[in-house]
Amino acid sequence: MASPMADDALLTAEDLHLSFGPTPALSSASLRVHAGEVLALMGPSGSGKSTLLHCLAGILSPDSGRVRFDGHDLSAMSDARRSALRRTEFGFVFQFGQLVPELSCLENVALPLRLAGVGRRQAQRSAAEWLDRLEVADVAGKRPGQASGGQGQRVAVARALVTRPRVIFADEPTGALDSLNGERVMRLFTAAAQQTGAAVVLVTHEARVAAYSDREAVVRDGRVREQEYVR
Amino acid sequence: MRAGRWGGELALGVRLSVAGRSGWARLAMISVGVGLGVAMLLIAATIPSLVAARDARLAARAVVAAEPVPRGADTLLTAAVDSHYRDRTIHGRLVRPEGARAPLPPGVTRWPAPGEMVASPALAQLLTAEEGALLRGRWGARVVGTIGAPGLAGPGEYAFYLGSDRLTEDSATRIRSFGTRDADEGIAAILLLLGAVGLVVLLLPVAVFLATAVRFGGEARDRQLAALRLVGADAAMTRRIAAGETLAGALLGLVAGGLLFLVAGLLAARFVPADLSFYLADLRPAPALAALVVVLVPVAAVLVTVSSLRRVLVEPLGVVRRGGDRRRRLWWRLILPVTGLGLLAPMFSGGSGLTDGFAYQVMAGVAALLIGVALLLPWLVAAAVRRLGGGGVAWQLAVRRLQLDSGTAVRAVSGIAVSVAAAIAVQGLLVAVQAQYTQETGRDTGRFQVVVLPHAGTQERWSASLSTASGVRAADSVAQVTATPARSAAQAAGTRLKVGDCAVLRQLAALDACADGDTFVVAGPNAAVPRAGSAYTLGEPGERAPGWTLPASARTVPAVRGDLPQAGTTLLVTPAALRGTRPDLSFFDLYVGLDPADPDALDRLRNAAAQVDPTAQVMLIQTRTVEETLVGIRQGLLVGATALLLLIGASMLVNIVEQLRERRRLLAVLVAFGTPRATLAGSVLYQMAIPVLLGLSLAVVTGAGLAAILQATASAPIRFDWLGIGATSGAAALVILLTTTASLPLLWRLTKPGGLRSE
Repeated sequence: MASPMADDALLTAEDLHLSFGPTPALSSASLRVHAGEVLALMGPSGSGKSTLLHCLAGILSPDSGRVRFDGHDLSAMSDARRSALRRTEFGFVFQFGQLVPELSCLENVALPLRLAGVGRRQAQRSAAEWLDRLEVADVAGKRPGQASGGQGQRVAVARALVTRPRVIFADEPTGALDSLNGERVMRLFTAAAQQTGAAVVLVTHEARVAAYSDREAVVRDGRVREQEYVR
Repeated sequence: MRAGRWGGELALGVRLSVAGRSGWARLAMISVGVGLGVAMLLIAATIPSLVAARDARLAARAVVAAEPVPRGADTLLTAAVDSHYRDRTIHGRLVRPEGARAPLPPGVTRWPAPGEMVASPALAQLLTAEEGALLRGRWGARVVGTIGAPGLAGPGEYAFYLGSDRLTEDSATRIRSFGTRDADEGIAAILLLLGAVGLVVLLLPVAVFLATAVRFGGEARDRQLAALRLVGADAAMTRRIAAGETLAGALLGLVAGGLLFLVAGLLAARFVPADLSFYLADLRPAPALAALVVVLVPVAAVLVTVSSLRRVLVEPLGVVRRGGDRRRRLWWRLILPVTGLGLLAPMFSGGSGLTDGFAYQVMAGVAALLIGVALLLPWLVAAAVRRLGGGGVAWQLAVRRLQLDSGTAVRAVSGIAVSVAAAIAVQGLLVAVQAQYTQETGRDTGRFQVVVLPHAGTQERWSASLSTASGVRAADSVAQVTATPARSAAQAAGTRLKVGDCAVLRQLAALDACADGDTFVVAGPNAAVPRAGSAYTLGEPGERAPGWTLPASARTVPAVRGDLPQAGTTLLVTPAALRGTRPDLSFFDLYVGLDPADPDALDRLRNAAAQVDPTAQVMLIQTRTVEETLVGIRQGLLVGATALLLLIGASMLVNIVEQLRERRRLLAVLVAFGTPRATLAGSVLYQMAIPVLLGLSLAVVTGAGLAAILQATASAPIRFDWLGIGATSGAAALVILLTTTASLPLLWRLTKPGGLRSE
């Protein structure tokens, strides 16, 4: 496993500052993410961990500081370029899945591929494979509202992985699930990420979820306070 | 007991409607929407009383020449001197009281002396303004008083009473009182039909809009109800609470509608053309109609809310919509259109026997067909989108959304579909009516543009007066005298002789060649063409009446529509053809050519004419005549249609905005994983465009069919106004495009990735 201080970081945040109005969310936050590692961002509610994740993913732009992915400065990129980056290199899993309710689970998983220009049939074939790997092939034709919470979250994980991204950002991916379903989602999620070689940035405040990570970083008051290996 | 509990639940709904920012926002949306609809309904309810009040005032000042009235202390001589100034119409009367008890018209307290004028406030103001400088010299009178409201059609009307000592029994009407009991001179049944259809057409989309407005913010309301279920409210209670909430919005909407109605009335009173001006006191909705609006709008609002909740399961842990998998049934949606067709079917026999009952039947039939469009559209959209697939991501997102729930989009579109169907139907009817009421006169306005019909003054005086008027390039007269056949009494009726040079005779008939000395015969449809050599007595038969013989060279020519009476025979004679005969040529018309570069030439001519004879009529020679009532109906429909399109556009915009707000987090997620905003914008556009396209198709078919039925009703040949259909559909499509465009800034704002933040 890569060392946290090694120079071959895939994604780096350097001295990030970001405020929402008068409220500071990030104050000199710095972090490195290496290819293939699972990094858990932990911290109390309102500590700035989700904001840091959004900055790392190029969803939010910091007021100052720099985020680099594979040597490229995200803040120097146009909105369209960042969107393209998120479409091809990043994947996302959110607390409530946030699947498109009108599309079937299969179509939801195929959506990022279709946005990347892959043809419908090929996209749906890949999507079906990922649903199978995440053990939710049986809900492929159903709409998200017809699947259970755990199934929906696994569909969301499949959607995040289907483009074989290099980094997956997961914000409280099991926050809405019971412990049994949460364990199952995390087991399948981290295993699948390992198979594809994707790095995972995982925001959580649950120790049992963080236990799936290679490394933990604790965020307090908008700053990354501690980083340590858990494995 | 139960009533008390229900009342409490309704009251809770009212209380919830003002709870928090979102509650207030929803309440504001519903009340503004309902208010707009109510304002339009109140305006419609005001039209009958507005027209009645105006007609009553016009009837009260009317002069009716019935039986001869002997001169007395209570009689008045009066003659109409209506005129125009630029684009304004001026109603005037010359008056000469014949005694101390001569009648006064409404709004006038004393008679003007000769050379004095009592004017309407608008005319008095115009006469003192710079704009009216040219008009001041027309009658050369001093304004000594103003006509009060009871004597005017509206505050903007230009009207006057001018004192005259030159009026005689021959040139005026003698009356003992003003006014007539017949306020309504009657309107052609076909125009009544057109107005009735127009009214139905304008009001139906308002009803559709009202039904949409009370559903504003429905999804947020449903979540609120789910929270109430969690604390113990049962399903029936949630429906009553929802009803209470809607009722609050509807009642506030009634107040807002009343205020909007007043504001619209104030603005309209200020900005409508003078001919249509009205007094604010006339702005009283018919009490029965107003009561209907006040009662039906809240009741309908509650019914729509309760009906919309039938498709939603409000459970303690959330809201489940069950519309997606339910197939819409067609059979009951066909009942109204079929009923409408049934009501209209007898109209194919033509509208010759038009009665009030007929008008109601047509209104009911048209309303049923148009409501049928609103009912059929949800089925059509659901059936069509079920078969759609393929396409890009934007298309897929839109189609899937419509497949899951097309109701919201359809509700927004059904208003526009009904309007377009109705507009196409009315246009079709207008095309038919216009053909009946518009006449191509075939008149040549190259040399003469104006005809003056004097009642007094000699040809010499007129010639002298007009020749000095600036801007008058040519003036020619055509005199008229009765021609009585010497032998056949049967031909006596309606034979007249008109004397003028070739240039002026060409205004009356199509002359291929003409030279001084020529004579032409214009025979009416049923009149016999006189033979060459027929002898006539010119003027009133008597010892001094000169005789004249129709020369053998006389040619029969067709008349130009306009100045010649259709019945009887007219002999057009150039001066040399009279061969020394000297009939009495004191009755004549003047044809005047004006300088086209001088915009004031016509008003200078009117001034010059008024100096010689204030009662002379100065008329523009028109190449086409259109029934004025028809013009009024078209203007009314245009104003109504414009207001309607704005209303529908506003309604659609609110719908889109509401949907976007509801989905803000999902949209932010889509953008987070790289969905281009153009894809999302495309999805919004498709979600609108697909129902609109289907709605417009249904509207075109229904509207064109309805137009054909109405044309048959009007006994007119059936023809489709494709240009009008295209323009109407295009305008509707433009509203959709503009509405979608207007929603894009909000879409950009909502799809900022910061929308993912929840803390």
